[in-house]
Amino acid sequence: MNTLTERQKLAYIAGQAAEARINVELETEGMTLNIGPQHPATHGTLRVVAKLDGEQVVSANPVMGYMHRGYEKLTEVRTYPQVTTLVNRIDWLGSFANEVPFILAAEQLMEVEAPPRAQWIRTILFELSRIANVALFLGDMGVQLGAITPVFYAFRDREYVLNLIESATGGRFHPNFDRIGGIKDDLPKGWIEETRGVMVKVRRFCDELEELILGNPIFAARTRGVGVIPGETALHYGLSGANLRASGVDWDLRRDGASPLAWNQVDWKVWTHPDGDSFARYWVRLQETREASYIVEKLLDGLPSGPIMAKVPRIIKVPQGEAWVSTENPLGEMGYYVVSKGDLGPFRVKIRSASFNNISIVPWVLKGVYVPDIITILASLYFILGDIDR
Amino acid sequence: MPQIPGLLKGLGVTFKTMLQPTVTVQYPHEKEDVAPRARGVIALKEDNCTVCMLCARSCPDWCIYIEGHKTKAPPRREGGKPRTVQLLDRFDIDYSLCMYCGICVEVCPFDALFWSPEYEYSEVRIADLLHDKDKLGEWMEGVPDFESYEAGSEQKVKKVPR
Repeated sequence: MNTLTERQKLAYIAGQAAEARINVELETEGMTLNIGPQHPATHGTLRVVAKLDGEQVVSANPVMGYMHRGYEKLTEVRTYPQVTTLVNRIDWLGSFANEVPFILAAEQLMEVEAPPRAQWIRTILFELSRIANVALFLGDMGVQLGAITPVFYAFRDREYVLNLIESATGGRFHPNFDRIGGIKDDLPKGWIEETRGVMVKVRRFCDELEELILGNPIFAARTRGVGVIPGETALHYGLSGANLRASGVDWDLRRDGASPLAWNQVDWKVWTHPDGDSFARYWVRLQETREASYIVEKLLDGLPSGPIMAKVPRIIKVPQGEAWVSTENPLGEMGYYVVSKGDLGPFRVKIRSASFNNISIVPWVLKGVYVPDIITILASLYFILGDIDR
Repeated sequence: MPQIPGLLKGLGVTFKTMLQPTVTVQYPHEKEDVAPRARGVIALKEDNCTVCMLCARSCPDWCIYIEGHKTKAPPRREGGKPRTVQLLDRFDIDYSLCMYCGICVEVCPFDALFWSPEYEYSEVRIADLLHDKDKLGEWMEGVPDFESYEAGSEQKVKKVPR
């Protein structure tokens, strides 16, 4: 525990003291506060049971499963092409990104590889869904702290990105565009030009939020030093994505993972922040949104021509075997462990979703904080309920 | 007072946005253009359907109901044998179950199913969302032509049978 910050240490001591006080000194009883299952700060139905001593949290536990839809089981009674439309609904804000690891795992088992044009279009849509996902967080974090304006800006500019996804794939939220061996269709005419225009808008949105939120002293006062997660602790709890990078750990599967997608074909930067507090998590996500728009532009510049589907049989049977593929989704590392017995559908699928691991740190990080900071920390950890409960 | 500039900058952003034109539209009176690829509703070209049941089998939540029967059609050429054709009796899609994934349109080998970007077909009763083959045939009017592709594509632009 030598990596703790000064504030965290003090909070720990205060938390321990509070716990001791309840029993011994004053013989007061702690209060149990249920945050959720219906609470706007939980983006759905997450319940956090917090034991309070006055304004201080003694212990907090997330209770999951209110929205469990059983995707791992559902995939077992569906064929491979039918699974992609299901897994769209796991992280509903960046849904295209959910399909990609599953398709990559199936491709790995079938030993086919999508042609380069398909890989590049996949990567472009992947980054677009990242923008659509994280843009909502950038606005939503303001709402959690009492600022209404940013969320309107977020919905305005996210709409342009969703329109792009719709005009390419046909679905705003559930694209179902990825296929084993390639993608469903090529880009429509004029899409590239339109995308370039939208990427400029996305960057303008990032600039606006930087002035509106990061420059705001109230925002800084409520987030700086709140919910500090040191890098080592973040690694121990299995955090991934921007939550991990905000703790100063330079780890990004887009760069470090062995993925056939086109990220390693262009230059881009992995953003990290040494602080590990709520402010850092917001800052990292803001930079990543801007970086994603640059990645999309660079990929559009070098989009190779060619076919978009490899040769795959019409009725897809995946040969016997097991495969694990994970990618850096908007929320963090998301992976699929697919076990196939040579049938039309998978025998067993294990889904590693980012939010589930990201909120496992909640009991640790909420210990000793004050009640208003609970919302800040939960919001800055940024989970999506569909991604937790699956 | 080091906080003042930060607050003023934020207010400046709000003020600038206030002067910009609105991005929302008054929906029932004004409508936004929907992308031609948008998955609004499935249209059925009944003449092309051969009752092969591929769409009904590949539907992830099994919301397509098909019935048909075999019948003899007159021969193509003079003096030939009468052909056996499949006639469609029933083709229902239950839109209260449909996930709009588009797998049925994709697997159809005879170009009988198409996406139309039409989206205004909500109903008061959930049972009315079961569209029969006549209603699905009416949607064919709204099916747009397939768009041409971006440069560098090797895909062929398909045609919608009219």
